[in-house]
Amino acid sequence: MTAVIETGSLGKRYRRLWALSDCTLSVPAGHVVGLVGPNGAGKTTLLSLATGMLLPTTGTIEVLGGRPAAGQAQLARVGYLAQDAPVYAGLSVAEHLRLGARLNPGWDAGLARSRVERLDLDAGQKAGTLSGGQRAQLALTLAVAKRPELLILDEPVASLDPLARREFLQDLMEATAEQGLSVVLSSHLVGDLERVCDYLIVLVGSRVRLAGPLEELLAGHHLLSGPRRDPRSLPDSMQVISASHTDVQSTLLVRTSGPVLDPAWMVSEVALEDLVLGYMSQATGRGRRNHLEVQR
Amino acid sequence: MTWLTWRQFRAQAFTAIAAMAVFAVLLAATGPHLASLYATSGISGCRANSCEHLASNFLQQLYAAGTYWVLYLLGVVIILLTPALIGLFWGAPLIARELETGTSALAWNQSITRARWLAVKLTLTGLGAMALAEGLSLMQAWWAAPIGRAVGHGAGGSNLAMGRFSSLVFATHGITPLGYAAFAFTLGVTAGALIRRTVPAMAVTLAIFAAAQIAMPLWIRPHLFPAHHTVIPVSSLESISLQQGGLNGRSFALGAENLPGQPGAWLLSSGAVNAAVHPVSTTPAACTTQSVENGTPAFLDCLNSHGIREAVSYQPASRYWAFQWTEAAIYLALALALAGYCFRRLGRRLS
Repeated sequence: MTAVIETGSLGKRYRRLWALSDCTLSVPAGHVVGLVGPNGAGKTTLLSLATGMLLPTTGTIEVLGGRPAAGQAQLARVGYLAQDAPVYAGLSVAEHLRLGARLNPGWDAGLARSRVERLDLDAGQKAGTLSGGQRAQLALTLAVAKRPELLILDEPVASLDPLARREFLQDLMEATAEQGLSVVLSSHLVGDLERVCDYLIVLVGSRVRLAGPLEELLAGHHLLSGPRRDPRSLPDSMQVISASHTDVQSTLLVRTSGPVLDPAWMVSEVALEDLVLGYMSQATGRGRRNHLEVQR
Repeated sequence: MTWLTWRQFRAQAFTAIAAMAVFAVLLAATGPHLASLYATSGISGCRANSCEHLASNFLQQLYAAGTYWVLYLLGVVIILLTPALIGLFWGAPLIARELETGTSALAWNQSITRARWLAVKLTLTGLGAMALAEGLSLMQAWWAAPIGRAVGHGAGGSNLAMGRFSSLVFATHGITPLGYAAFAFTLGVTAGALIRRTVPAMAVTLAIFAAAQIAMPLWIRPHLFPAHHTVIPVSSLESISLQQGGLNGRSFALGAENLPGQPGAWLLSSGAVNAAVHPVSTTPAACTTQSVENGTPAFLDCLNSHGIREAVSYQPASRYWAFQWTEAAIYLALALALAGYCFRRLGRRLS
């Protein structure tokens, strides 16, 4: 199976600032990919590059084996829900569906209609008067009903309240399962992704810090706690991702392929959140500062 | 795409159609009376020597009546402003509004390329813009036809007596409005694509379009074709502007207001010259105010007898349509270039 997104040393610069640098990724098909990172990490840039809304400054990007937005066929294969779920305020819900039907040869009118009915959207209502959640649902309907192979969603739930957020994600998962499409979903909220993703990309400070199937990543990382000690005294097979220390105790997030045998450590499983926060703090340098303190 | 374009454009289209209808009603209500005034003025059956007089009378009568002068001016202003308004309200938001509201991400991620999206939008809205401007111009031309005919008969002495080459008439008749509309529209679209925000794009569009509309008649249009030059006897001048200055009228400036034998010609410049065809402004001693006391004719005779003639550069009336086509072509070419730039810009970046 080809990769849904394949990048090689991809970079994007806005004037002097690199929004994304040296990004090399290969995201396999058939996953729900969570793209996480703090605000300003480059998530939107990466997704905009994948949809062809931006052109790379350096490197290459292929989506489903083709150049993003290269032509009508390529556009038809990728569904995109941009940040803040833009819709035409002056057009009604029904007119949005008509827009989708007119502009997409593969439009699934039945799917679109049934979604709108199930979501209880009033067909005659202007999109500008919809609630944030309804707007996101309408935009998702447009993206899903064009029957893409890959669905790209940029912070789809950021502006939704917790209930609407859960409903949206549940609905997304149903649509994904029914249509068997690949999904790439960005969020800065880890909790949202935990329920839906099976593949994780952590993007911090314009760089990809971690990418892989979620289960493998969780199995390959451990949270160690024990008496305070220098992280460098750990065996070479363990890579310390982040470390925090109190006067007497050290807590480390380590990446290792084998089991942790040292009885001095209490080993616990990592959750998605530990993983993401660990890599974020590593990147921002907080981890390193702790590291230096120990050396003293 | 046609449907979406129409759906997004229809409010503006209805506004334009409504405005056009109001304008049409206004002209239709007054046009026939204007035509009947012309019919009773006797110009149509005039003999060569009475035509000019009758035509002048007709225009003076119209001007005195007020209504027609106001309507004429109103029409001219509307036709001049329409392209600018099109650029502001149809052109500038076309891309900028989509970028501002983020709906570009929606529009450009349907199964239709950005080039196609832009092509349909530019074509439909652009054709609408040209139709509107040209439609208004044709209506006005129909309504003002009697005035134009009177001017063609050499009528003068009234604000309505503007020749076909005068800035206001030239820019509101023929096919130039079509070119202005196309240019203003694509200018707005381009400004919107570059600036990405509607209101600043509107301001820039207005500034550039106004500058173009000022530069064109002042500096560009007169030179589209090489001017004709001629030197004629001062005594043959029919309509002049004469300024005398200095002590005893030692200096003078003599301008021709029309050119004998070239009715409807566009006079670009005129001035007195000596026998060697060098410009003169010093009054020959014999012709100073003191010496010549019988007024202008005597003064002109005196100049004549001292070998002073009038040099005139002009564009002959027969070039009117050549000017019209050339100017429209220039604006259409600019519009095409701007549209081409928009395609490149949209293909390269923008989100």
